[in-house]
Amino acid sequence: MKKRKMFLRMIFASLLRRRSRMIVALLSVAIGATILSGLVSIYYDVPRQMGAQFRNYGANMIFTASGDELELAAVNNAAALIPDEEKVGVAPYRYENVRVRDIPVVAAGTDPEGAKATSPYWSVDGNWFTGAGEMMVGANVAESFRIKTGDMLEVTYTPMTDDSAADADNVSYFTVTGILQTGGSEENYIYMTLDDMSALTYESDRVDLAELSISAGAEELSGYADKINAADDVHASLVKRVTASEATVLTKLQALVLLVTIVVLALTMICVATTMTAVVAERRKEIGLRKAIGASDRSIIREFMGEGMLLGLFGGIVGSVLGFVFAEQVSVNVFGSSLIFRPLLVPITVIASIAVTGISSLMPIKSATEVDPALVLKGE
Amino acid sequence: MFLRMIKGILFRQWKKMLMIAFTIALGASLASAMLSVMLDVGDKVNQELKTYGANITVIPKESSVLSELYEVEDSDKVGAYLKEDELGKIKTIFWAFNIVDFAPFVNADATLDDGTEVKVVGSWFDHHMELPTGEQLDAGVASMRSWWELKEGTWLDEQLLDDAENGAMIGKSLAQRLGVGSCDMIHLKGKNGECELKIVGVYDAGGEEDEQIYVLLDTAQALAGLDGSVDKIEVSALTTPDNELAEKAAKDPSSLTAAQYETWYCTAYASSICYQIQEVITDSVAAPVRQVADSEGAILEKTQLLMILITILSLIGAALGICNLVTASVMERSQEIGLMKAIGAQNSSVTLLLLTEIFITAVIGGTAGFFAGFGFAQIIGRTVFGSAISLKPMVVPIVAVLVVAVTLIGSIPAMRMLTRLRPTEVLHGR
Amino acid sequence: MSLLELKNVYKIYGDLHALDDVSLKVEKGEWVSIMGPSGSGKSTMMNIIGCMDKPSKGEVLLDGVDISKESKKNLTTIRRDKIGLIFQQFHLVNYLTALENVMLAQYYHSMPDEKEALEALERVGLADRAKHLPSQLSGGEQQRVCVARALINYPEIILADEPTGNLDEANEEIVVDLFHKLHTEGTTLIVVTHDPEVAEVAQRTLVLRSGKLSKEVVNENFTGKIHFDS
Repeated sequence: MKKRKMFLRMIFASLLRRRSRMIVALLSVAIGATILSGLVSIYYDVPRQMGAQFRNYGANMIFTASGDELELAAVNNAAALIPDEEKVGVAPYRYENVRVRDIPVVAAGTDPEGAKATSPYWSVDGNWFTGAGEMMVGANVAESFRIKTGDMLEVTYTPMTDDSAADADNVSYFTVTGILQTGGSEENYIYMTLDDMSALTYESDRVDLAELSISAGAEELSGYADKINAADDVHASLVKRVTASEATVLTKLQALVLLVTIVVLALTMICVATTMTAVVAERRKEIGLRKAIGASDRSIIREFMGEGMLLGLFGGIVGSVLGFVFAEQVSVNVFGSSLIFRPLLVPITVIASIAVTGISSLMPIKSATEVDPALVLKGE
Repeated sequence: MFLRMIKGILFRQWKKMLMIAFTIALGASLASAMLSVMLDVGDKVNQELKTYGANITVIPKESSVLSELYEVEDSDKVGAYLKEDELGKIKTIFWAFNIVDFAPFVNADATLDDGTEVKVVGSWFDHHMELPTGEQLDAGVASMRSWWELKEGTWLDEQLLDDAENGAMIGKSLAQRLGVGSCDMIHLKGKNGECELKIVGVYDAGGEEDEQIYVLLDTAQALAGLDGSVDKIEVSALTTPDNELAEKAAKDPSSLTAAQYETWYCTAYASSICYQIQEVITDSVAAPVRQVADSEGAILEKTQLLMILITILSLIGAALGICNLVTASVMERSQEIGLMKAIGAQNSSVTLLLLTEIFITAVIGGTAGFFAGFGFAQIIGRTVFGSAISLKPMVVPIVAVLVVAVTLIGSIPAMRMLTRLRPTEVLHGR
Repeated sequence: MSLLELKNVYKIYGDLHALDDVSLKVEKGEWVSIMGPSGSGKSTMMNIIGCMDKPSKGEVLLDGVDISKESKKNLTTIRRDKIGLIFQQFHLVNYLTALENVMLAQYYHSMPDEKEALEALERVGLADRAKHLPSQLSGGEQQRVCVARALINYPEIILADEPTGNLDEANEEIVVDLFHKLHTEGTTLIVVTHDPEVAEVAQRTLVLRSGKLSKEVVNENFTGKIHFDS
């Protein structure tokens, strides 16, 4: 008991009274631990954060009718099978042929919020349509009809019924809030809300398809698709172009971060080890003295390792905190969202730094204990 | 004498100096590896993002405005086409080197024997081109539709001509509906001709292409009677993410000042590449595909930023590591320095000696580290992207300045300590 | 039986005979000085007696045990149990207080005992400096801490290597007085020195020259007190 007290007393005396050297060592261990916990945090968060970035490519799942018709309610039911936190957006679409100035045009009814989320790459000159009587026009349509933002448009729909009495055209008026540019076929359509579309066509609740943007890996996605298809109301299919490419690129990116992490970590740990070696090598004389007054090799190794491991412990704790702060900064600056705290990383970082300091002090201590105390004390 | 002392230290204390050099080498290799990877990661990721397919589409001028609209009601086209023989010119523009892939498309409507109407698309599969510049390029849907999954059979191989002219690939849904598979024959009757084709493969594209039949450009042109014409060209180009200038230019290039125009024209923005394509293809409109171009920009930017931050972290780590070791190793020699002071060395001469010594070590360590780091970068490049990381000349001065500055800064606390050192204290071992 | 006996001891480094056929005996309770110019083999002999080195040839009997055949590990144990070392350069652990430095010897020997360590410091007149770090002590005080550390485990022999080499006259006297006190208490003292004033205080002085014992002087009027020529 007394012996252990003296042991601790010596270690703390060494740590506290040799402050400048210990700060050097502690700093080096802390840097190593910071890099370890910071990079590993980033590595684990990259798929999630980068996955969110890949949602820029737009919808990766499409709902279509599995029977004759697709109801809006069925779309919502099916979408509810996907966890909310992974669902970036759901945009139901209904396409109808309408006429503007007697020229046929395809009109799409959708939910503007959902469309904005599933197609973040749409660039709108002006504003998105938000409610009744508002409309967004594709760039090609706008150019051919010479439509500008703020124009009023008359949109005509002719119902396809056998009943000639109902054959009269439905007419609605819309204000153009913005011109849509996508570089794709969307530029040939006009966009309005689903309610306006229903009002124009006397039909409600029917949609042609729904686009979903889901932040999940390829396997999870096909899992959701299978689950939804099993329910029979809706047919879910994956947009291969987006999902397959995302898998390829994301795997590469993660491999990149992994390799970078390994290289940086390996180099940093060796760096920490050399510094620890230098710090311990400095104390050869003290080791010689302890041997001269009767310390066995084992007890010297125990004391110096104890000291080194204590340094590792403190450095590891400091490093875990700093590393998390760094990773959080990276996450906020690069991806604009917070990092998930992984409690397991703290013990891992601490254990790794204890191991590195322990192993790197062991070698110089061992070599110092092998030297004759007489030689060391004479000052070599 | 000074040189002799330096030599003495370097040769007789080579073990200690080796350790310092080793740590400096580690730091330098970390810095150069990370900088090389960081500076090259844009190009590499850009290349990877090409799996998303074309980011620029080129269509005839008139059709860009009207034809697709009319198509809804009447597929009789108004006769706006691009010329097939101009395709090669795309590889002659200012940013030709950035064009990694492109393919022409021609649409033909055809009827099967049972009256089913199908959409036939003619294109290149793995079209081999000998460019006037002497360059060779394999382009076509085989690489531009990398997400297509082959369900049956093989890709159409243009190099095996006999097969190719009469071959076709068919979308999964259409194949299912028609009840055909690979090696089956289909008979197509187009507006201007008819042909008997052998299905070589069934693909799953997960989109509208699943309802189409893909054939060689010539075959589709013959069916539609559009010899030498194409409807659309898709171009896959390495681009720089858009900035304000690019956005301004995209709206109207003539609104730029001469200097701005120069900058814009000579930067690989999607809009400037589009502009250059329009210059070489008669009556064409080239537009970036926003779904691909914008997302590419966002992902590139994020990846680069991420790498920059990781690089900064490792640079700081390397810098502190070197600083630390230099401090530790100079402190270790307090006795020797005390002795030198005791026999009358001035602070300045002791400092100069130490700095020279550390500087020489730093140069040796830094050089070794630079090459090691470049090696690490190659390992990363090869493993992740399957291609070498190119050596950017700017890495050399950055690493050099970093190593020298960091070692010198790292010596400051040690130097301060040493100059305050009283020789008697050191020699009496306090 | 003598406490320490060297029988025809040689220590050879290559061609150099650091010790050349040295034989000597030290009885229990004796105070012996070993003198000689530098290079005479003093340090080699001190290292061999202090169990920090082994002779190339010959026997070293400490308390009847031949230590020239022991392993390094056993030598450490013997050193710990039987020998208290005092060095010219003091060699204190610079981050431990005077008290802790003394306790360190107890710690490696058996059990640290703060009270006993304090008593040892009191014996060397440093009880009030117990909590000071070596850097806060003068040279003489540091050497006294070393003495306290050397005697704390009641060693058979206290072996001092140039104990006054780094001290002024006043401190030299204090240290020699301490040796005298230890001698009267029955401790065996072996003092290696090249300073005749310090050597002459002892009961017997052995003079080494080129690795051989050249002269043995017995102090007829032994007082245990140093007297300076000046």
